[in-house]
Amino acid sequence: MSQMVVDSSTLILLAKCGLLQTVCDLFDVVVPKAVNIEVASEDLVKNYPDAALISDLTSKGAIKVQSIVSSERLKPPLSLHKGEEDALLLAVKLGRLLLATDDGKAIKAARFFKVPFIITPKIVVELFRLQKISFKKARESLEKLAKIGRYSPEIIADALVSLMEEKDGKTNNHKDTGRLIE
Amino acid sequence: MAKPTTIRIPEDLLNEIDQFVQESNLDRSAYLREVLRKGFSLDKEDRLLLKYVRKELGQMEVCQELKWDPWQFLAHLKARNLYLNVELEDWLDAAELPS
Repeated sequence: MSQMVVDSSTLILLAKCGLLQTVCDLFDVVVPKAVNIEVASEDLVKNYPDAALISDLTSKGAIKVQSIVSSERLKPPLSLHKGEEDALLLAVKLGRLLLATDDGKAIKAARFFKVPFIITPKIVVELFRLQKISFKKARESLEKLAKIGRYSPEIIADALVSLMEEKDGKTNNHKDTGRLIE
Repeated sequence: MAKPTTIRIPEDLLNEIDQFVQESNLDRSAYLREVLRKGFSLDKEDRLLLKYVRKELGQMEVCQELKWDPWQFLAHLKARNLYLNVELEDWLDAAELPS
């Protein structure tokens, strides 16, 4: 299973758009200890069902928590919060693994260290492209990212266009082979 | 314990405050303390969120500074009609998922 490092911002958005479990089923999701504390501390688990979901996935091993040794610290060109810095470090340490983040500043740092990154709307479109979720689920998730996730309308519009293009591509491919999708 | 400080206030603003305090039967010092506390809190939030939008601060740095938990962050953005600090360029440059 492919590995992916996920930071707090993406864990929260994946949970809010109902795709966290799916991503954990398909990928080896790794988070630094600091991120796990940031989003699923004991207090947060009591107050937020999505924090409880993260805690549950962590205790089942679907989300793997890794500690960072202080001697392994990076020197990013800009200051980062501990969770974001540790997520970036983990991605570098594990061989420039894919970093899932929805934080503009963390993306800036990922670009600096040449770490490949992905944002939640792209994860949604990609899950559909890989036929892991239905078109309906993907569209609903993007709509949630717009409403609850506070994603900019231009990114959501572009993501919806990509989703439609993927759907059309699939429909055409299946027409060619005489099969229908959805 | 409250400490004294001195600030210069424009005369028209001070007159307006004095008139309001009198009409509302409020304690002038207590009222000014309250206004300062509320104003400072709002201004601090606005300035830190502006830094977030400009990518000078990350989401978790803002949460730490303002003592918000990360699950509240999106609601705070919504309340101010702000969006995540992720740009179209980031969407276009994002990697694909490994198949």
